[in-house]
Amino acid sequence: MFKFILTLILGFAFGSILLASQVFSWFRIQEMFHFQSFHMFGLLFSAIGTSALFLFIIKKMKIKSIQGNQIEVKPKKLELKANIIGGLIFGLGWSISGACSAPVYILVGLHWQIGLILLAGAFTGTVIYGAFINKLPR
Amino acid sequence: MNTPLAWYFAGPLIGLMVPILLILREKQLGISSSYRFIGATLLPKIKYFNYSKNQDRWQIHFALGLVLSGFAAFQLFGAFDQVVIQPVLDYEKVAVSIYDVKNGLQFFLGGILVGFGARYANGCTAGHCIMGVSQFATSSIIATISFFVGGLIGSLFINPILF
Repeated sequence: MFKFILTLILGFAFGSILLASQVFSWFRIQEMFHFQSFHMFGLLFSAIGTSALFLFIIKKMKIKSIQGNQIEVKPKKLELKANIIGGLIFGLGWSISGACSAPVYILVGLHWQIGLILLAGAFTGTVIYGAFINKLPR
Repeated sequence: MNTPLAWYFAGPLIGLMVPILLILREKQLGISSSYRFIGATLLPKIKYFNYSKNQDRWQIHFALGLVLSGFAAFQLFGAFDQVVIQPVLDYEKVAVSIYDVKNGLQFFLGGILVGFGARYANGCTAGHCIMGVSQFATSSIIATISFFVGGLIGSLFINPILF
């Protein structure tokens, strides 16, 4: 129960940042792909930089989790064709819907009709992936 | 709400979510696996959804927090329809109400591609662009570049036809 509430609060905080910085907005995503503003790029780069800095500190200082375990981060496995083709398809979807995975959920709360359509779409996409999982090049 | 929180505040705050999740929950930031978790709950008979879903359970709780943040924003500020960034709108018919249900089919298509692509690439903007690139993982750097190439094609060439 504690973990559930904690994770819920973290999700709420993450969503609030994405709302305040307008990352959820279809228009911000179009603006980024049209190179009309530095906003999204600055946001992504500073997020990556901050994360990298803290990952370095965690590793160097051997910081433990609150459960007392050593924190280990695993990089995602390299699957060249899957990363590229899957990435291209994801990017297409991101630009058309103006929303990646987190904003899909934010929009469910903000614009429930379009949000639920997006969520249904993302879910359908996951089902289609599951159906073809063995036939896709990696 | 027409002025966004500046990137130099919002970006580091987003980046901070990575160590916070690791320290408090021992989880690597990611969101799109929650779609598979939903599948495991709704359609457990499909082979792909028959997996040890407990590893992804936290993501659905995180996602619920995201939904609540959107709902809270709606209660406080309305639907944000006024958040329009004018210079982008070369094609004026998009106008203010992009989130109108008349665009439902386009959004559904976009959603399908997001869901399919995220699973195929093994991650989304959170898991690859932020979590993965900050580890300097080759897979995530390649995926992130691909996200942007796909997005450029969609935004510059496909959207003017769709909307």
